Amino acid sequence: MKRSRTFIRWFFLLIPCLALSGCWDRRELDEIAIVMGSGVDLTDDGQIELSLQIALPMGIQGNMQMAGKKKPVMLVSSKGTVSQDQIGQIQQQLSRRIFFGHRAVFIIGENFARHGVDQTLDTMLRFPDSRYNCFILTSKGATAKEVLNSPYPLEVIPSIGMKNMQVGKYTFAERIDKFLDSFAAKGFMPATGAIRLIKNGQESSFVIDGEAVYRENKLVGYLSGTHSKAFKLMRDQGSGMKIPVPIEPAGKLSTGMITADLLTTRREVRTFVSQGSPKIEVEFRAKGRIIANDTTLDLSKPANLSRAEQMLSNELQKMISGLIEQTQKEFQSDVLGFGDILHIQHPYAWKKLQTEWLDTYPEVPVKVLASIILERIGRTQKPGHLPK
Amino acid sequence: MKVTGLQVFWMILIMEVGMTLVMTLTPGVQAAKQDLWIAILVAGLFTLLITFLVTNVTLLYPGQNLIELSQTILGKWIGKAVIVVYLVQWYTIIPIVLRQFADVINIMIMPETPKWAIMLIMVLLFSYATYSNGIVTISRCSEILGPIIILMIILVLLSSVNNIRLASLLPVYADSGALNIIRGSLPSASYLGHSVEYLMLAAFLYQPRKGTPYAYWATIVSTLVVTVALAMAIATIGINLTPTLWYPFFEMTRKISLFGFVENLDPLTIVTWVASVFIKLAVYMFITAYGTAQFLGIPKWRPLVIVLAPIMLWFALIPRNVTEATTNYLMNYWVPFVLPVNMIGLPLLLLIVGKLRLRAQA
Repeated sequence: MKRSRTFIRWFFLLIPCLALSGCWDRRELDEIAIVMGSGVDLTDDGQIELSLQIALPMGIQGNMQMAGKKKPVMLVSSKGTVSQDQIGQIQQQLSRRIFFGHRAVFIIGENFARHGVDQTLDTMLRFPDSRYNCFILTSKGATAKEVLNSPYPLEVIPSIGMKNMQVGKYTFAERIDKFLDSFAAKGFMPATGAIRLIKNGQESSFVIDGEAVYRENKLVGYLSGTHSKAFKLMRDQGSGMKIPVPIEPAGKLSTGMITADLLTTRREVRTFVSQGSPKIEVEFRAKGRIIANDTTLDLSKPANLSRAEQMLSNELQKMISGLIEQTQKEFQSDVLGFGDILHIQHPYAWKKLQTEWLDTYPEVPVKVLASIILERIGRTQKPGHLPK
Repeated sequence: MKVTGLQVFWMILIMEVGMTLVMTLTPGVQAAKQDLWIAILVAGLFTLLITFLVTNVTLLYPGQNLIELSQTILGKWIGKAVIVVYLVQWYTIIPIVLRQFADVINIMIMPETPKWAIMLIMVLLFSYATYSNGIVTISRCSEILGPIIILMIILVLLSSVNNIRLASLLPVYADSGALNIIRGSLPSASYLGHSVEYLMLAAFLYQPRKGTPYAYWATIVSTLVVTVALAMAIATIGINLTPTLWYPFFEMTRKISLFGFVENLDPLTIVTWVASVFIKLAVYMFITAYGTAQFLGIPKWRPLVIVLAPIMLWFALIPRNVTEATTNYLMNYWVPFVLPVNMIGLPLLLLIVGKLRLRAQA
């Protein structure tokens, strides 16, 4: 009796151990090719080109050991008509199994974006390997393949460099799941950061500035300059932003500009629906501090400070209105998510508005009220370097 | 074999929470959209009703489990007919849950492993637990695993706090309406309704009369946990993507990224899943084996475990694909039949007839 019980117990204990080691799904580290960044382009002859930036295992040691110009990443690409097929074709160039689990960025080439982003989107969610915490970027003035091929001196792996730039929120950052979410939503059009190549002397590198604006699934344009800044403000990524504004005419020793640094921003959107047509009011409040005073004014005097606040508020108002107007007239795309806010604030009216929102949005009147409170002006009162 | 009230609490809690979190989010959100949290609360009300019915039924003849109860109350033949209805439920739920378990593991973490390997491990595990000392082993396991499961869920929810966007839960009510909310509450109500197993478990309590508050507490706690967890899942993933994902709760854990390096916390939810499935299947296996033995008049229930285990494994391999196993079973049998009949109707019948008999006897 006892012996058979013991035997049965051991049997039950050992059988699971055979399968627990994960025989079928075992993937050793040296059997996988780790994809750090991937990009999709549309070639001139209408084919889809998929490029992958694969991390080379030896280059990760450290910067000291990088004797010579051995690159720590390799780029592989393949062309074809169906994008999912490309993964299989690229695999044929690689001795290790492609692994998307560490992908940091996904770059959409400009041509592909303008043609319409389809095909590639579904895999991002469906395929178990891919993480959707990864960032999505649109390339500007270059193909995704060129961007992925570009070196980046500050980081060992360029894709990680791109990812850190996006994590640090120096520019607008969008992750894949939010991007896909805005495709599905009627009140929110997708937008991503825009990456382009620059030349720093001999070295080429990349920079992420500006945003790419989409309408439905096509790229319609890029934001830059003050509108790009305003976009970040509207998407609540505005703290730390520097806003210069001219406050007096330029003089001999001064340009007449003061620069404020935004500490906190608050954006409130109010929507009104009267007889089926919507109206939007945006109120933007910020708290800031002066970081540069290139004028002859003494900002510790209340009159001057209020004047500075007034000019800054006007500037903010101009920036935001300009942005909204550009999205309405030039892009005709509701990237700022006003439709979504309408949905939340007037759900029953939204039921009627949502089917036509794509065409209605450009005509909606939007009023912008911006105000800023300057909390501090720094360590000096009047600019110290001006002669008395 | 005796169990304590606290053990019953944990057993019911684990059976209710684990699978509800993972499996009912998608059908629920497809119907109720962002008002799913209201739907879950409604489901909780349904479950409270079920708990009320079953606890009162067991109080009529304390110490008798379902098999004895229904024959005592309804007489030999109708009683046996009622038991057959329950037996059908138990015999089908085990293979289906086994299959769903293997599906989740396959889809989320181990795509290449064949289903039979995953199911074999689980079958061996819960068969051993049931065989070794029946309900006592299982209840002691649940006393340990229960707090662990709740702890894992709380950890996941706390880590997800900065990923949520509460505005995703708005507007309230406007997009769905009462009918859709009720439709969305049904999948969750059917999973939360596992307190109906109390009918079998109560007989094993040390003090059968005192078991009622434990069943109620299990229902209340599990409803609250599921409401918060599912509301957070919708708030994290957003209302557009959630209805299309098979297991949004797992996807929510994938989004967690703390301090830039604590990422990919899938294993926490997998632990919850595996532990819940284990307890659920073990309880069901025990109920099935013990119940079948009593029903057919077989004196020893233990050998039945060995007989039934491979049968369940074989049944679990029958459905051809994911949809057949999950959606079809849920929508064509579990929600339209088990929920109104096994969980509400039959206990109500037993309660009414039982009370009438007691009054007649007195």
